Amino acid sequence: MTAITIDLNGVRIADDVEPRQSLADFLRERCGLTATHLGCEHGACGACTVVVDGKATRSCLSLAVMSDGRVVLTLEGLRNDQIMDILRRQFHECHALQCGFCTPGMLIMARDILQRHQSPDANTVRHELSGQICRCTGYANIVKAVVAAGKDLAAAQAHALAGALAEAEALIQAEVQARVDDQVRAQEDAPPKPGTE
Amino acid sequence: MADHPPADGWIGASLLRKEDARHLLGHGMFVADIRMPGLQDIAFVRSQMAHANVRQIVKPPEAAASVFTLADLGPIAILEAGPELAAHRHSPYPPLADGRVRYAGQTIAACMAPTRAEAEDLADRVTAELEELPAVVDCVAAMLPDSPRLFEHWPDNAFITGNVTEGDPPALQAAPVRLRRKFRMNRQATVSLECRGVLAYWDHRNDELTVHLSTQGGHVMRIAIAQSLGLPEHKVRVIAPDVGGGFGGKNRIMPEDIAVCAIAMKVGHPVRWIEDRREHLIASVHARDHTYDLTISADRDGTLLGVEGDVYIDAGAYSLWPTGSFMEASMASRNLTGPYRIRHLKLNTFTVATNKAPMGPYRGVARPGACFAIERLVDEVARELGREPFDLRRQNIVTAAELPYRTAAGMRLDTGDYVQALDTARDMIDLPAIRKRQEVGESDGRAIGVGFAFYTEQSGHGTVEWVKRKSRVVPGYESANARMLPDGSVIIHVGVQNHGQGHETTLSQIAAHELSIDPSRIAIKYGDTATAPFGFGTFASRSIVFSGGAVARASRMLIDKLKRIGAHLMQTDPANVRIEGGEVHGPSGSVGFAEIAYAANVRQEHLPAGMDPLLDVTATYEPTETGGVFAYGTHAAVVAVDPDTGTLEILDYVVTEDCGTMINPLIVDGQVQGGIAQGIGTALYEEIPYDEIGQPLATTFGDYMVPCAPEIPTVRMAHIVTPAQATEYGVKGLGEGGAIAPPAVLANAVADAFRKIGASFNETPLTPRRVSEAVARARRARDDAA
Repeated sequence: MTAITIDLNGVRIADDVEPRQSLADFLRERCGLTATHLGCEHGACGACTVVVDGKATRSCLSLAVMSDGRVVLTLEGLRNDQIMDILRRQFHECHALQCGFCTPGMLIMARDILQRHQSPDANTVRHELSGQICRCTGYANIVKAVVAAGKDLAAAQAHALAGALAEAEALIQAEVQARVDDQVRAQEDAPPKPGTE
Repeated sequence: MADHPPADGWIGASLLRKEDARHLLGHGMFVADIRMPGLQDIAFVRSQMAHANVRQIVKPPEAAASVFTLADLGPIAILEAGPELAAHRHSPYPPLADGRVRYAGQTIAACMAPTRAEAEDLADRVTAELEELPAVVDCVAAMLPDSPRLFEHWPDNAFITGNVTEGDPPALQAAPVRLRRKFRMNRQATVSLECRGVLAYWDHRNDELTVHLSTQGGHVMRIAIAQSLGLPEHKVRVIAPDVGGGFGGKNRIMPEDIAVCAIAMKVGHPVRWIEDRREHLIASVHARDHTYDLTISADRDGTLLGVEGDVYIDAGAYSLWPTGSFMEASMASRNLTGPYRIRHLKLNTFTVATNKAPMGPYRGVARPGACFAIERLVDEVARELGREPFDLRRQNIVTAAELPYRTAAGMRLDTGDYVQALDTARDMIDLPAIRKRQEVGESDGRAIGVGFAFYTEQSGHGTVEWVKRKSRVVPGYESANARMLPDGSVIIHVGVQNHGQGHETTLSQIAAHELSIDPSRIAIKYGDTATAPFGFGTFASRSIVFSGGAVARASRMLIDKLKRIGAHLMQTDPANVRIEGGEVHGPSGSVGFAEIAYAANVRQEHLPAGMDPLLDVTATYEPTETGGVFAYGTHAAVVAVDPDTGTLEILDYVVTEDCGTMINPLIVDGQVQGGIAQGIGTALYEEIPYDEIGQPLATTFGDYMVPCAPEIPTVRMAHIVTPAQATEYGVKGLGEGGAIAPPAVLANAVADAFRKIGASFNETPLTPRRVSEAVARARRARDDAA
């Protein structure tokens, strides 16, 4: 057994694991986090994809001991994630899932794609999804959902940026106004210059 | 994807799915997600050899109690599988080997440990001494007199042979055009992304064996489990939780299911077996594996006359309960005339046992092979006559005026407009533009080809059809139990098994339509034999026809009682009331369902005198025509092929299809696109070859190619809606159709690309090697001729 400490979905987890145990088995069997699915256990289908130190990672090909000291996120830990919120809505509206088994891995990979590509087009999404198997949907609606989510995210970011700019501008204007006011006040408060009367 | 006009009711509304939320949040509950105190894992010792006598199984002494052989499972009844025909030979398939193994991967012993890893460690320490026997790997050679046998007491290796003779086949000898072609559709796996899985334990409180099983039909599986273990059925409960795809592969009882249940009866804690991908590829349901040697006859004017020849089904080592693989041969031969006016048929069929994993159903069952064969033959005849294949197709296809039409093989094609489906596909793909493009040629040296294929999809077939097939189980109806609760909300239990099809959504739309309430007030429940009425499950494109019909009938029974109670509460006659917006309306007012349901459930004093309380009804349903209703469609594709490497790109793929009335067009489109993706897998990628000693050569996703997003185009769809006459709302089943035509359409497209050199593409999958070799062969033949 090997002692490991993982920051898992924002919680510090300390455990002793067999060196041979995969991260996927650790998450599912030891931590009870069953959103992470196993579709092949040899790194080909992508159903087990999780986030390790910010990178989409096959948890079936990583050992739990390799995650020692790292930050791991599973779908359970992305409940309040802005990108995941958008992806979930678009997957629902675009009918991008049928049996649902590939869905957690698809969502994690889609989030990874949107973090690396600003509003990706369909070809980019197809290429980037080439390591994820879905047996039900024929991919069309998954691609559509990720593209739509990318647009939504860009719009949300633009909106946030515009908001931030407006806020910044307002702050600057307030600052400028305050200085002007100070100067005016200083002039008003200043004693009359001698010899002006 | 198609554009759909907005619907003005729940029938035809693209309602977003109720199933989505739990999966999007990671809260799906698949068998492997179930946690139980004391749960232990099973790993199987499997045969390394294709065919062998099991001399001895040596358990590690320190862990002997955790290793189970057949003798340790207790008395097990081996169920006879396959059609109920005396001519069909019994192939006893024990849950663990009984002294003989007949395919590489067959279960020999089961090993139990607290984790799967430890169970696999234990399995490694079990020694199975095997005495190798000659393997039978070629289903045609298997029928030669000197072939080794799988079952000594059989006179040859055929599970069953048969023949279909219709019309006047001898007259075909004189036909002006006679072309003989051989076709192969190779063996593949079904590849649900969730592999199989079973978790079982004895529930002491309920005094029953509880079995969580990833299955397409729990009630039918319960029959097999109870019979195998000698338990009465009321002591077996089968629960199918979320099921991660099935496609036919989870619709048979499998040896691991019985072994795990038997072990659960022996030990005092839950046990489970979760199939891994390697096990899935070598020892789950295999599919396709058809070989055709056919001669088509035609007149000089292109009129197709008849088809003769042999159909071989490589069925693997055993028949899987209940039905075996007999239907492959009968469905292949009965669908071989396709939608064409072919009146003469003479086919010999051979369903052959080989030392390979047993064959089972897979989306489309037999029809992808039949469609591949007949649609390739149509193109070959067109080439022979110098005709445009599309025109020959159109010349021979049954017209709308001829429907209903009984084909030479006895299928009753019911409603639709096949010519319109063809013409629409031709216009969408723009056939003239492709022909022009081909004349110009491609600057990158690739060859462009266009292909068409037409399919019919028998769906919603009932008693008559299954009895004709001598099916051991006759899935001729479905059932629904509808309950209105005191607050007016509704729970409907059904016997089908959603595993991606969206039944929670579509069946609630049907009930919402009948009950005039919102689908959010209706819950569809399934997947537990303790609560669901008896039903057969989800397969054979049957659920919307059968279960949809049962839900409609049950809802109407509720309505009838709601009206009677509502009329009584309003002191009027039931004849004077109508239903609207979740209320019963009378001449001078209305009463809501909640008030009526409250009375029916908990305030019986408000009911009419003598009326039984409760709003709780169970309905069964079978369509009025039980030979099935036929969805159909035309697929057309444009491909670009590199002649030297054989690599292929799908440039365009269009579908015109008619599944009758669509309950939820969003879900219909999803089924079509998903089916086509699987069909493209069959056509281009997926194959489990066996070597000459019977070793499977595709055992991981490294060598078994499942298409991913870059390989699957977004299909352009057009829908024709011709309501069926025999079903509720005019629906037809459509789950399988997408998977039927892609091998035919893509092979036709590749053949079209190389039509000038006469290369033939008659074997799937069309791998780069097969394509480039076919091109090279044709080039050599051309050069030799020159």
